[in-house]
Amino acid sequence: MIISVASGKGGTGKTTVSVALAQSLGYCNFYDFDVEAPNSDIFLKPDINHYQKVYVKYPYFIKKEGVSFKACSDFCHFNAIASIGEDYIFFEELCHGCGGCILVGPEGYVREKDVEVGEISKGFKSPGIYFFMGNLKPKSMRTSNIQGDLEKMLDRSQTVIIDSPPGNSCNMVNAVKNCDYCILVTETTLYGLSDLKISIDILKNLDKKFGIIINRDGIGNKELEDFCRQNSYKILLKIPNDINIAKTYSKGGSLLEWDPKMKDKFLGIIDVIKEEVGR
Amino acid sequence: MKICISSTGDNIDSSVDPRFGRCPFFLIYDDGTENYEFISNSSRNAMGGAGIQAAQEVISKGVEAVITGNIGPNSYRVFESAKIKIYTGVSGPIKEAIAKYKANQLTSASGPSVQSHYGMGKE
Repeated sequence: MIISVASGKGGTGKTTVSVALAQSLGYCNFYDFDVEAPNSDIFLKPDINHYQKVYVKYPYFIKKEGVSFKACSDFCHFNAIASIGEDYIFFEELCHGCGGCILVGPEGYVREKDVEVGEISKGFKSPGIYFFMGNLKPKSMRTSNIQGDLEKMLDRSQTVIIDSPPGNSCNMVNAVKNCDYCILVTETTLYGLSDLKISIDILKNLDKKFGIIINRDGIGNKELEDFCRQNSYKILLKIPNDINIAKTYSKGGSLLEWDPKMKDKFLGIIDVIKEEVGR
Repeated sequence: MKICISSTGDNIDSSVDPRFGRCPFFLIYDDGTENYEFISNSSRNAMGGAGIQAAQEVISKGVEAVITGNIGPNSYRVFESAKIKIYTGVSGPIKEAIAKYKANQLTSASGPSVQSHYGMGKE
């Protein structure tokens, strides 16, 4: 069973919730899909024992008198190659690696090479948490390639927790598209509600089951809870707005370290999810 | 000699647009014959690399100098490699910009004046 933890608004507590879920379970596979800014390792503290590099294909261009790369620059939608007479400039950060320039460009003068765009670290945390975290190289835009390699490592026969990147973009879709159930973490503010609605639209489009965890309960207003009630969306848990949670967090501590009783609450959520998913 | 000015509109009473890659129009002006034409900037809605595409378009028109408000790092590189002069920090009516250019009152840029994506989402 795959459970994704997502949130439209950033900083609502995705990692806090996913780490608490994993620690409560004790035995599971944990994947940090927030490859642009992964930080679950700070809280789960796994022993990292393996690094796997992620490569993508980038073109390179061979300059020769009489050879122009204008066909390549005309073709490229991302304008990653500029052609000025026989000169060219390749903007690697704009390239999406589609390989089109190789097909339309002067034969033999546009070739492909492997370029490292990031890595996946694998580790283990006792008693039984297998840990996978993607990490995009600074300046690289190839988020989905790292997520794609992480996706290949998903093992559906295990209980899987996926920590999604914030937002409602393609990167979030990559983190939720394989799940059996999605937990949306939000806060009761206008911003939280607005982004929650977008996340729900996405999950409905993907035909995913979901429930909601309210974090920093007590701030903002009641609009979000009213919205959930009116639409019969399940609120799985409310985490209070407690300064001690923030203090624990700032030292790399999890919700379970703040209050060990949280473990039973998260195991209760797992039971609810299992029932809804039907396993 | 032909020059290019980033323009807010498609007539001679328009102003210099502060953006290069995502401005709506380019004025291509020949200071010898005083002939001019406005071309629509087809790159302005590009997903990325608008400046790169726009710079190539302008270069293909045979211009030797570009007058604009700001230029980003990518289009700067393209112009630099084509040895085209760039004047940034220019604003106000394009007629005034042309007069200043002719009077040698514009300063040429020695590097990009803004970061990538500066012109995005600005109408």
